[in-house]
Amino acid sequence: MKFTYSWLKEHLETEHQYNEVVDKLTAIGLEVESVQDTGLAYKDFIVGQVLEEEKHPNADKLKLCKVDIGREKVDVVCGAPNVTKGMKVVYAPVGCVIPVNQMKIKAAKIRGVESYGMMCSEYELGISNEHDGIISLEQDTEVGSSYADLSGMNDILIEIGITPNRQDCLGVLGVARDLAAAGVGKLKNREFKTEKGSFESPIKIEIQDNDICPAFAGSYIKNVKNVASPDWLQKKLKSIGLRPISALVDITNYVMFDQNRPLHVYDADKVKGKIIVRSAQDGESFKALDEKIYDLKKGMCTISDEEKVLGLGGIMGGESTGCNFDTINVLLESALFDKVNTARTGRDLSILSDARYRFERGIDPRSTLEGIHFATQLILEICGGECSEIVLAGKISETPNTIDILGKNIVKRLGLEITDDEIISILSSLGFGAKKSGENIHCTIPSWRQDIHGEADISEEIIRIKGYENIPTSNIRAISKVNKDILNSTQKIISKAKHFIASEGYNEFITFSFSDSKKSSFFGEIEKLKIINPISEDLDILRPSLIPNLLASIKKNTARGIDSLSVFEAGGQYSSTTPEDQINSICGVKYGLSNSKTWRSEKKEFDIFDVKNDLLNVINYLVPGNKKISISDEAPSWYHPGRSGKIILNKKIEIGYFGELHPRIANKFKIKTRVNLFELLIDSVPLTEKKTTNKPLLILSDFQSVTRDFAFILDKDVKSSDLIKAALNVDTKIIKSAEIFDLFEDKSLGDDKKSMAIKVVLQSEEKTLDENDINSLSSKIVEAIEKSTSGTVRS
Amino acid sequence: MVDFTKLEQEITNSLSKVKDLESLNECRIKYLGKKGEISLLMKELANLSGEDRKKQAEILNTLKNKTLSLIEDKTEELNDRNLNEKLSSETLDVTLPVSSSLGSIHPITQVIEEVVTIFGDLDFYVAEGPEVETDYNNFTALNTSEHHPARQMHDTFYVETQTDSMQNVLRTHTSPVQIRSMLQHKPPIRLIAPGKTFRCDNDQTHSPMFHQVEGLVIDQESNMSHLKGCLEIFLKTFFETDKLKMRFRPSHFPFTEPSAEVDIGYTKKGNQLVIGEGDDWLEILGCGMVHPKVLQNVNIDPNSFQGYAFGMGIERLAMLKYGISDLRTFFECDLRWNKHYGFSPLNFPSLIRDLS
Repeated sequence: MKFTYSWLKEHLETEHQYNEVVDKLTAIGLEVESVQDTGLAYKDFIVGQVLEEEKHPNADKLKLCKVDIGREKVDVVCGAPNVTKGMKVVYAPVGCVIPVNQMKIKAAKIRGVESYGMMCSEYELGISNEHDGIISLEQDTEVGSSYADLSGMNDILIEIGITPNRQDCLGVLGVARDLAAAGVGKLKNREFKTEKGSFESPIKIEIQDNDICPAFAGSYIKNVKNVASPDWLQKKLKSIGLRPISALVDITNYVMFDQNRPLHVYDADKVKGKIIVRSAQDGESFKALDEKIYDLKKGMCTISDEEKVLGLGGIMGGESTGCNFDTINVLLESALFDKVNTARTGRDLSILSDARYRFERGIDPRSTLEGIHFATQLILEICGGECSEIVLAGKISETPNTIDILGKNIVKRLGLEITDDEIISILSSLGFGAKKSGENIHCTIPSWRQDIHGEADISEEIIRIKGYENIPTSNIRAISKVNKDILNSTQKIISKAKHFIASEGYNEFITFSFSDSKKSSFFGEIEKLKIINPISEDLDILRPSLIPNLLASIKKNTARGIDSLSVFEAGGQYSSTTPEDQINSICGVKYGLSNSKTWRSEKKEFDIFDVKNDLLNVINYLVPGNKKISISDEAPSWYHPGRSGKIILNKKIEIGYFGELHPRIANKFKIKTRVNLFELLIDSVPLTEKKTTNKPLLILSDFQSVTRDFAFILDKDVKSSDLIKAALNVDTKIIKSAEIFDLFEDKSLGDDKKSMAIKVVLQSEEKTLDENDINSLSSKIVEAIEKSTSGTVRS
Repeated sequence: MVDFTKLEQEITNSLSKVKDLESLNECRIKYLGKKGEISLLMKELANLSGEDRKKQAEILNTLKNKTLSLIEDKTEELNDRNLNEKLSSETLDVTLPVSSSLGSIHPITQVIEEVVTIFGDLDFYVAEGPEVETDYNNFTALNTSEHHPARQMHDTFYVETQTDSMQNVLRTHTSPVQIRSMLQHKPPIRLIAPGKTFRCDNDQTHSPMFHQVEGLVIDQESNMSHLKGCLEIFLKTFFETDKLKMRFRPSHFPFTEPSAEVDIGYTKKGNQLVIGEGDDWLEILGCGMVHPKVLQNVNIDPNSFQGYAFGMGIERLAMLKYGISDLRTFFECDLRWNKHYGFSPLNFPSLIRDLS
């Protein structure tokens, strides 16, 4: 909310400087968002008087003027048609900056004649669009005086953020009241005059639904003359950025911003019969003041006459009964509307208005009558006319809310010693009724505070005024611990995995949890993942997988000329829009060159064995100790069918996938080269609830180990894992390891054949193997492999 | 009688002239080989008798040992010279480039780990909740009914649900984790809940996805002064300065009462923010005493238990601590950015080593 310091001082009597008041606003919860010295731009402008005026010797439309500016007399060349001798003007001296275009005034020769400074129009000062001539000030204006002072521009514009609970501070009066309670001044007494009407209002008011509108006060004013508002009112509205429209409209706006009392004024001659406050009917529609037509629904609060809807209660008036400069008779409305209903209607129709903003937060019921009397007087003063007796339909509750609180509970909540007397004194300063009643303090809540319901709310009031800086600081380290573990097993796994994978060369990316439905159907059922109000068309679903966003990121990086990319993301992916269907996953992607051509290596591209290696390493890290890892070639459909695999832990747990991205998907993302990736299914990593710190017993043999190599000619589809398995199974005690060390295909071997060589390490724990032992084991290995693979040993 | 002095002279002379290992070997054979001069003289000792033999044997042995030692010295000298010659031809251009193969950890992960480390030390466990939440957990249970004006401030993402009965949202804050945790555990409770949050807002200072960390303490006596103490330790440790200035001021959140926002003091030096110096204030987090209605909603008696909650933006913490100027860059996935602002994977935040 915006207001000026001078406006605030109409309600607050204070000796304090504005900056002290500004600090206090923030300290009591009315956070200052900006402070602007509005006079700053005008500080150099002074009042001058034209002493002489003659035609410029070299230009028909220019005049040479001698201007008295108090401290001296200066020559000014001026092009304004209205400049005359004796005129009082606004003079901008050399060095001054013109607000409208930020031009700095310099001494200059204009058509050969020296000119010092400039006389200004309203347009140049940025106060109106009037640029046909320079400003002519009143003749009694003092030459040499400050224009900023004279015009009232010398003010401080303060903008504060009002939290949703502080509906009472949506008017300058409320802000002043809070400041007074906090000790920076005294709230000025307002003289509350009731306006006694001289006749009965010809427009009757009927409330059909008291739940949506508990009270509606009306004042009929006849024979008004709707004019442009007087200067003081226009300046006020302009000072907070509002555009003056006409006196009738400006008065309602002024009362709203001054006293937080929304009003509405109807052209009474356009109202047919009586005013009826009722729920809208389905199918009704109405044209509001913003010239838009709204379709109404049952339950919305309408102000209607006997023919049509005139306005939406508490939100916006209608075009049909709007006031203009021809309006003669008016009906002024001051009503109470239900918070929830106002909020719902406003939201359903997407209407944002100052009235809605206030009513959905709650309005002081007492302001209903105060506001209508105050505004009626202003209308009579400015627009003339005669007013009726005030009509009130419905009821304004007179009984204030009360609560009993215990001082010690306040102390317990705040951690601050404070006496009952001080509590009572603070509450009283805020307008509460507060008195001791046995152990309790009995509090009567002021009508303007809609946010106070219990002890917790009172404790906030106390500390707000007492000052948050007075809360002491207490130690929170407890002697006995509340929690056994800080991180649970899954959290530890994710953290360890992230660091490990990053250490394998991957850079961690974080992408949005949304993705593009058009590119994500490969990965899940996109119709189960829709966002109703997406931020953009290409972020319209929850991501079914981490992959699509990482692919998009690859595309972006390659466009920047990056030819090697290893990235991963750890995060949630979704199988539906229910909270339970979030799956934790990590996806790593390698793209492009694993080695660039360097002075010591040839260029090499990443392949699936790079990502397989990385995935196996991280699994080995996360699942230490004895385990069985097997690899099958059944990866999900988003992988290349012939170049991908699945890792299975202990024969049954699917723990991850690796492989080349399916080329069809790469195509969709316009990625031209092969992409290799892995997925680690975090939720499948076995949780070691009770970790044993013991490692298994280590047996090291001191007998010599022997290495033997064997090569086989095999069918192309024979898997290396079959060779290794066959070899190891020959003697699980003596055969320590079996590894593939050579692989090649050649026409000489036959079309569907390949050669694979295996290196086997033999070592006994009991003796040194002799030639016989080794030969016998060797032939068993050859036999086993030939049998299981239908291959033949190469000699 | 052989002239031993002359022989010794001769041996010393010829060894000193030796220039390589080959001629050294020849020399050795000439004097000490099977038919070498000294060896032959040794053999002749058998022909001598008594005192003579003893005397001559002694002289010969001395000569032999001396010769051996001279040869040994010479060998070493020659080897040394050979090695030096070899070394002088073995120079490499050590300025040739090599490459590093470590990746990087995202600043968000780093900051969350720092936050967890600090609060872990203060006995807070890490709770988590789903990113898709029920409207009830995200708003209603947190004392933000359907028409509460605070809801409008949240710009909520709604998702289509298969059943009509339930409206789900992308959580707009990490606060629903409070609800889930309090339904699961009885007090005392001390937790933090870091995670992703979502709001339907996308401009220079807003990202539709961002990260928060929530804190919650519920027991029989935790009050606002504990809240102050807790945040003071956290902020000083996180920003790694004891000079940190902190300001609490009133604010409003539907789920806390009283509520506060916390500012920290800073100054601007050139383009950099310096936390802990200067007189300007920067908003860093929101907090307050948990609203009694929230406790009632999770079946905790507000007359017996109370406590505080706080929430802050991870990106904001990261930006302030690490001088990252644009919020949106966190999720742009520009490898150059990640390499510049990212952290070493071997860097685990720790209070006994380094936090960052």
